[in-house]
Amino acid sequence: MIDVMFGALGAMLSNPKTMGLMFIAVLIGLVVGATPGIGGRLSIALAIPFVFGMDMTQGAVFLLTMHAVNGTSGQISSIMFGVPGDGDDAATTIDGHPMAKKGEAGRALGASITASGVGGIIGAIVFAVMIPVLEPVVLAFSPAEFFLLAILGITFIAFLAGKGQIFKGIIVGLFGMILATIGMDPTTGIARFSGNYLFLWDGLSVVTAVLAIFAVPEMIALAAKGGSISAVSIENSSISYRQLLGGVMEVPRHWFLALRTSIIGALIGMVPGLGGSAAAWLCYGHAVQTSKTPERFGHGAVEGVIAPETASNAKEGGSLLPTLFFGIPGSSGMAVLMGAFLILGIQPGPAMFTTHLDLVWTLIWALVVGNLIAVTILLFITRWVAVLTFINGAVLVPFILVLVTVGAYANEGQWENLLILVAISFIGWGLMRWNWPRAPFVIGLVLGKIAEESLHKALGLWGIGFFTRPLSLVLIGLICATIGLAVYTNMRGKSIMPAGV
Amino acid sequence: MKNWTKSILTFAALGAASGPALAQSGVDFYKGKTVTYIVATAPGGGYDSYGRLVAEFMQRNLPGSTFVVRNMPGAGHLIGANAIYASKPDGLTIGTFNTGLIYNQIVGQEGVKFDLNNMSWIGKAASDPRVFAIASQSPIKTWKELIDQKTPVNFATAGVGSASYVETVMLTSALKLPIKLLTGYNGTDDQLAMRRGEIVGSIASRSSYDQFVKNGFGRYIVQIGGKDTDVPQLSSLVTDPKGQELIALVQSQGDIARLTAGPPGIPADLTAALVGAYKKAMEDKELQERAEKLERPVEPLYGDDVLKAVKAALNQKPETIAILKEALGKK
Repeated sequence: MIDVMFGALGAMLSNPKTMGLMFIAVLIGLVVGATPGIGGRLSIALAIPFVFGMDMTQGAVFLLTMHAVNGTSGQISSIMFGVPGDGDDAATTIDGHPMAKKGEAGRALGASITASGVGGIIGAIVFAVMIPVLEPVVLAFSPAEFFLLAILGITFIAFLAGKGQIFKGIIVGLFGMILATIGMDPTTGIARFSGNYLFLWDGLSVVTAVLAIFAVPEMIALAAKGGSISAVSIENSSISYRQLLGGVMEVPRHWFLALRTSIIGALIGMVPGLGGSAAAWLCYGHAVQTSKTPERFGHGAVEGVIAPETASNAKEGGSLLPTLFFGIPGSSGMAVLMGAFLILGIQPGPAMFTTHLDLVWTLIWALVVGNLIAVTILLFITRWVAVLTFINGAVLVPFILVLVTVGAYANEGQWENLLILVAISFIGWGLMRWNWPRAPFVIGLVLGKIAEESLHKALGLWGIGFFTRPLSLVLIGLICATIGLAVYTNMRGKSIMPAGV
Repeated sequence: MKNWTKSILTFAALGAASGPALAQSGVDFYKGKTVTYIVATAPGGGYDSYGRLVAEFMQRNLPGSTFVVRNMPGAGHLIGANAIYASKPDGLTIGTFNTGLIYNQIVGQEGVKFDLNNMSWIGKAASDPRVFAIASQSPIKTWKELIDQKTPVNFATAGVGSASYVETVMLTSALKLPIKLLTGYNGTDDQLAMRRGEIVGSIASRSSYDQFVKNGFGRYIVQIGGKDTDVPQLSSLVTDPKGQELIALVQSQGDIARLTAGPPGIPADLTAALVGAYKKAMEDKELQERAEKLERPVEPLYGDDVLKAVKAALNQKPETIAILKEALGKK
């Protein structure tokens, strides 16, 4: 085992062509990840014609690294401009963007990039460790557990809204859940709240909603306020490699949190069907819940950046497991990757253990090395990127709004989403203007859909008693504990999260 | 009488002569032109990879042309199909969508803004027979064991109204199968549910289950259409004529997989050029090799032959339509 493990690493590092391809893949992955609205799935789909005829190992390394480092650059725009690239990055926005406003963009970027890298590497380690117990763990999660996990995530709303805000938080969260019911009803096949508009049949575009709720209001506020994103002028801020390095060092300072959220992220990635956004949000909620000073969250707490970033990169390692060993992809991105693997002549399935163990280890190492390369590249260039937060808003806002518009359109290629963008932007701006929390909206939208679909399935399979399986009972216990804790802290009058997040 | 024969002969001769000439004028038209190839799904997945493959090789075989793939996902391929149908018939927009839309058209479902009878058919690339896939931990090993089940077994389909749902409901009700339907299993959800043991089986396209079965997680007990000989054909096991008709309808779906079509009214010379390029693409060894790696071997049909197959599938008896309407929740 050990010789296969390090043999694979040696073979990969000593092959200049593999390393060259990996480097190119990291660059493509980072650029695609940094652009809002276009996901990693698209980049793999477009790369497929190029992998025909590639060597099996090299092709697989190329595609996997391209996919894996996507999340590493996604948070740049969420931190800098409050423009999240997708649902995962939205969680980073909550604390990352306030940091940029305080002139700490460098620190936030340093922390988030390092956290992504660490998450990716821990995800790879979890991948390696979990191989022997993959089957029982993955198969333990059925629709009943998906439903309860989604509910658990939704109960975190109680923590994301602060003192006197809990009702506002619940209202906003429920509003998100109502919007999650737009589209085709999974059991009756009837289109709900969709009028005659076919584009609404698949539900509201999460990317569009997230851009409208977070990014547009920030830009309106910036334009109205004047000045730059950073409230501190460039002379007075320590925008330098030192600040960046300070951010990097935040990750080892919060090593225990980073470790926990990486493992949670990898485990969620391992269970197909829950989706990447759930990982980021559950881990963000976990960070707030376990913090001794939860009141700092939403005002630029660095833990609020570390938790979702570790989770969203760690899940890549996790989601590769069922894809490789069951041949059952855990996400749409992995489905595309698996299609490409088949083209390369890799037959995912249990036989991977025996026939392609060296390839499995190469892929694990590719995750580790690819993440390291990505972190190095990004840490070098972000010093200049961070300067953008000091640029006058009047110059910056039009560019960002173009980026937002392109992101909302490019995600599904439907112009109607631009109307949705405008409509929800009003809501987002209203929430921000009157100090209502915004994060619960996205949680309601993302997890509400999962909750509904899995509830339908669980009821269909087991009827009303679906929640009596042992794992379900554990999750129910967690949900009760979360609600109890929220009520308790709220009664004691301890402010958990300030308004306007 | 003599004149009549003569004129027919003349026409035939004219037709024979003008055929290639027509195609040639069409081919010239595409020099320097850009053709949009609409794929009715998001990037990634079978339709997208197949669409991109077809577009790439059609471009190679239409000198001077540029093919651009445009993804128009949503509403179970309806958005893409509607867009292809509504595009200008200038020969510069064609595309691909799920054959299952035939069902939607037969029952006149909401959102259908096309008539497949009128489209300019370019070709179809593959056959994708349907199978009854059963999880390996289930004791059901044959068709007979399935129909002899005393209590209904769980079968998964995608959302209500999807092609997999329609086919499962039709076959279940027509053949009186002991199947309990569970919906909402999209993508590979059903395979994971079969691994977990919640779901016993699924009626699905063979290509989507080949990997699963190869890995030993499941088995096929019966197949509809296709040339594979490892599984018995369902039509050989059913005697009921009404059942036979529905099986034939499902089979026709599988036979015309991975189709390419344009809006109604594309000028004949341009259609001829497109069909010609499509044919050359399908005959290309490299495309065949790649298609095999993607999914299934190439089994093409061209132009009017596809139209004929589509028309046959659309033309159903009232009883069949009634069963379909019931499946799609239309009374």
